[in-house]
Amino acid sequence: MSENSGIFKNRERISIILYTLYIVLLMASLLLILRIIGIQLFFRPDEKIKDALTPAVVAKTIDPARGNIIDCEGRLLALTTPTYQIYMDCTVLKEEIETRMNNKIARAKDDPVKISEAKKEAETREAEWLGKARMLSAELAKTFPGKSPEYYYKLIRDGRANNRKYVKIGTPIDRNTRNEVMEFPLFRDGRYKSGLIFEQDYVRKYPYGKLARRTIGFVRNNKSDVGNTHIGLEGKFDHILHGTNGREYLRETDHGRMRDNDSAFVKAVDGKDLRTTLNIDYQDLADKALREQIEAEDDLEGACLVLMEVGTGAIRAMVNLVRDNAGSGSWEEIQNIAIGRKCEPGSVFKTVTLMSVLNDGFVKSLEETLPAGSGHVEGTTINDPHIPDFVRNHGGVREISIIDGFKISSNYVFATLAVKNYGKHGKKDETKRFLQNIYTYKLGEAYDFDLDGMLTPTIPSPESRYWTNTDLGSIGFGYSTEETPMHILTFYNAIANKGRMMKPYLVEDIEEHGLVVDKRGPSVLNAAICSKAVADTITRALKAVTEEGTAKRLKNAKCTVAGKTGTSFGTFENGQYSDASGRKKYQGTFVGFFPAEDPQYSVICAVYSKPTGKQFQGGGIPARAIKTLIDGLYNIDPYFQPTLNKAK
Amino acid sequence: MKNVKKTWKIADIGVFLKNSLVAILKGEFLLRLNVGRYFIHIAYTFFLFALVIWISLMIDNTQSKVEKNKRTLQELEIVHSQKTYEIVSLSRRSTVNAMLQEMGSNVQEAQQPATRLVE
Repeated sequence: MSENSGIFKNRERISIILYTLYIVLLMASLLLILRIIGIQLFFRPDEKIKDALTPAVVAKTIDPARGNIIDCEGRLLALTTPTYQIYMDCTVLKEEIETRMNNKIARAKDDPVKISEAKKEAETREAEWLGKARMLSAELAKTFPGKSPEYYYKLIRDGRANNRKYVKIGTPIDRNTRNEVMEFPLFRDGRYKSGLIFEQDYVRKYPYGKLARRTIGFVRNNKSDVGNTHIGLEGKFDHILHGTNGREYLRETDHGRMRDNDSAFVKAVDGKDLRTTLNIDYQDLADKALREQIEAEDDLEGACLVLMEVGTGAIRAMVNLVRDNAGSGSWEEIQNIAIGRKCEPGSVFKTVTLMSVLNDGFVKSLEETLPAGSGHVEGTTINDPHIPDFVRNHGGVREISIIDGFKISSNYVFATLAVKNYGKHGKKDETKRFLQNIYTYKLGEAYDFDLDGMLTPTIPSPESRYWTNTDLGSIGFGYSTEETPMHILTFYNAIANKGRMMKPYLVEDIEEHGLVVDKRGPSVLNAAICSKAVADTITRALKAVTEEGTAKRLKNAKCTVAGKTGTSFGTFENGQYSDASGRKKYQGTFVGFFPAEDPQYSVICAVYSKPTGKQFQGGGIPARAIKTLIDGLYNIDPYFQPTLNKAK
Repeated sequence: MKNVKKTWKIADIGVFLKNSLVAILKGEFLLRLNVGRYFIHIAYTFFLFALVIWISLMIDNTQSKVEKNKRTLQELEIVHSQKTYEIVSLSRRSTVNAMLQEMGSNVQEAQQPATRLVE
């Protein structure tokens, strides 16, 4: 019985404990419910507190990472890095110092000693801050040369006096400099004591500096007052490099700002990488070779050099240098001459005439001859003064072979070939056939290219009212037409490639995280502009030019070169090729390929002069620049490496 | 036995509330509703509520760590891109040549092609 009563007592005790616990929890929950009801229905917080505590959701655009541009071997040509602009809140601590002083003065109750102490303390603190600002100014002057320490000190001191909270200091800096700046006197005290503010922005950087800058290009923002905001590969492939913006909503929490998962979230899609055909080593060699030749020539205003792979049409180097007359006068990559400047090509066009007559069967052999006399082209007003010289130098010969005409770059020979074979003779007129051949060689159209701005060549038409009886002959030796260097190079590349004309290209593929997502690669413009035999014949003629002709300078290059020089003159406003004082605007060109017996690369170099009394022939600067390039390339290109059998 | 139809009065609400309150105080509310057999479900529901609240707090905590890591990652990416830029800038052929010359090194550009060993 007593045992049972003990159990009952124990149960009663547990019941009381549980019941008490239950009541406590019940009261607590009741309190919570009432509190919730009170907050939801009746509580009206102070607006300032409400604003401060209400987690505001802000929309934020997520910028995608812009894709890189890389060369054919994967080296970075363009990448995005952050820059930092320094701003300064010059009023920092100022208010605090004043408030502290005022409070002390108020507490001093007209005690002159205490008031004086308070003022003195404020002055000391202010002087201390300005003292640090002076030391800071000295460091800033070292970081941003061009402005004195006094300039920066005045800037900060005046900013403080005028309560300026956002004073711009210097120019944008990189991360390393930012880290150094953070250790400067005053700035090292931290943001709240120095007023240091960094604004971060992402900018495009080009590690190889000016190399291929015009080809790589850039994208200006829309605020720029310059019309063309999309230049080069950066501009043309901006839609691929840029990626897609994302969007997220952020909310304030006790842990800081974080993504609001209850709102929509659109992930940013990063831009893809662009693998170009450029080889930055070859670009460096080409750039250096061209600059060496033109640097000292004050009369030159522009030059370009393009190196193309014969079998594919891949452009391995593309140098475009224009004298920056508006600036320092130095050579800069500010215009893509290779595709954006067309001129009368001059003698390099004679190869077109040669191919045309060989293709059409008018000429069977380079040894075929034409009468060599006064140099006058029958039925035209064209006269070639080099022919009498040739006759004189060759013991009064009466004939000149086509290959000799090609070697000495005779206008007479090629004008005669054009006029004789395609001109109007009675009812027969093959002019259109000749012009059609030019179009077949893709020298009359602007084909699709990886850069914007390729110009369409100008080929005159006999139906035009401007057509004269000299036009056919002058087209034969490279006048009356206008071609860009790229068109000429594409044509010569086709000869090197045994008649197969490859389309020049700059973008190998589009990649994402190292994987190819869009393979572009080589494509054919014309499968056969000539037969292999014709290509071999022309190669023989081109080789003769570098061995015995106008480009003999290339004879002692480290590998055999086949090519042609060309010199033409720009027209003046009076329609003449020289101004009143006899000055001419030269365009000197050399175009060819190497090694001549098994062509791997084709190359063109063109220089453009201002009106000058000096001569700028194709066999001069262009040939010298190309020789330097070939010699440099010969030492590093795998094709030229001899092999040694390991087993031996 | 007469079948008397029960009619509701306003006062019944008061009685209901009073009875409910007494039942709550006595801890018999669920028993009075005759849902004692669902007690385990109700307790489970409350457990789920607590779990949801706890998980939400954990998510917040994790998210804050994610944000912090994101910032760290971004910093590292910036350092990486800066270093990459600096290294690539130094790899330019003519820059290397200029640096070698400055250092007085005898190393020069190749004067002839390298010989390639083949199997």
